[in-house]
Amino acid sequence: MALPDLELVDRARGGDPEAFRELVVRHQRRVYAVALGIVKDRDLAWDVSQDAFVRVHQHLSEFRDEASFATWIHRITARIAIDVLRKERPSRRSDVADVPEPVLQEAAPGVLATALGTNPQETVLRRELAGRLSEALGQLPDVHRTVLVLREMDGLSYEELAERLGIPRGTVMSRLFHARKKMQALLAGYAGIDAPGAGDRS
Amino acid sequence: VRCAGATPLLGSRPGELDPTEEAALSAHLSTCESCRARQADLAALSQVVEDGLLVEASRRDFSGFADGVMARIPTSAWHGDAAPGPLGRLRDFVRRHRILATASALAPALAALALYLYIGRTTGTGPSGFGVEVTSEDLAAVVLETSDGPVILVGEASDGT
Repeated sequence: MALPDLELVDRARGGDPEAFRELVVRHQRRVYAVALGIVKDRDLAWDVSQDAFVRVHQHLSEFRDEASFATWIHRITARIAIDVLRKERPSRRSDVADVPEPVLQEAAPGVLATALGTNPQETVLRRELAGRLSEALGQLPDVHRTVLVLREMDGLSYEELAERLGIPRGTVMSRLFHARKKMQALLAGYAGIDAPGAGDRS
Repeated sequence: VRCAGATPLLGSRPGELDPTEEAALSAHLSTCESCRARQADLAALSQVVEDGLLVEASRRDFSGFADGVMARIPTSAWHGDAAPGPLGRLRDFVRRHRILATASALAPALAALALYLYIGRTTGTGPSGFGVEVTSEDLAAVVLETSDGPVILVGEASDGT
């Protein structure tokens, strides 16, 4: 029977490398997914993910046992990914202040939910859209993509997002709104459902 | 509140909105079918974002990932340098203070031995197998070789000895 994360963390803190390796193997895919969602580039996401685990190891003593290891590693991953994004793409920092009005026409309300059905695990369309998610995310400005990924993958609250990104709560809500609106339009366009103008840029 | 004011509030979680926003959104949703549909869209989108990124991650071969991480952690980090948890900290404390613990356990016997040696030295009849050094009329330093290394005992002589 697999040991719980906290037990592995405790063993790793005691100097057990195999326990830490097990933690890495257990969380690597999701950590990579978080990194990929933010930095977009696969190789960069790979490096960010490895950095995150190395940093986690360095700071194991700061891990509070009442917290979730998954939440902790995801937040460290996101922090590194955001830093990388800022360093890698300084010329795109203007994105931070530039939150344009939606560049796509809004999909009709409810169309995405209806198309994807009530059983999220079973629909073919859901799998198809999941397969094109990276493509859609890649069309968002960095600031919109980051806030959306942190919200959906990391589960950060408005307050946590504001603190993490160093922006007011209202800006968090605004960025989320625009990110979601554009994603809905893009995904509806991929699905061939009511999304006039999807892919058009204003 | 109208749709334009309500839509940015959609997708919030319980407790995230202030009471005014919460009340406004709730009132709006009770009468606006479109915004209820938008809310359903957000839930669907949320799931697709998560699924999509995990699908993308699953396309990657992770066979060398853990090895890469482990290779970047210095070997020394696995020899007591890694920061311990509660149990680990207790183990580390005992490990770090083994000498102190041993000395504490042996303190009464060692004190008696030191006194015995000191008395023996001052009377000229004590054993000579231990390194005993009288540093002053009142102090005697006894160096004992133990399994934890040398232990120095400093005993203060009582008057009249």
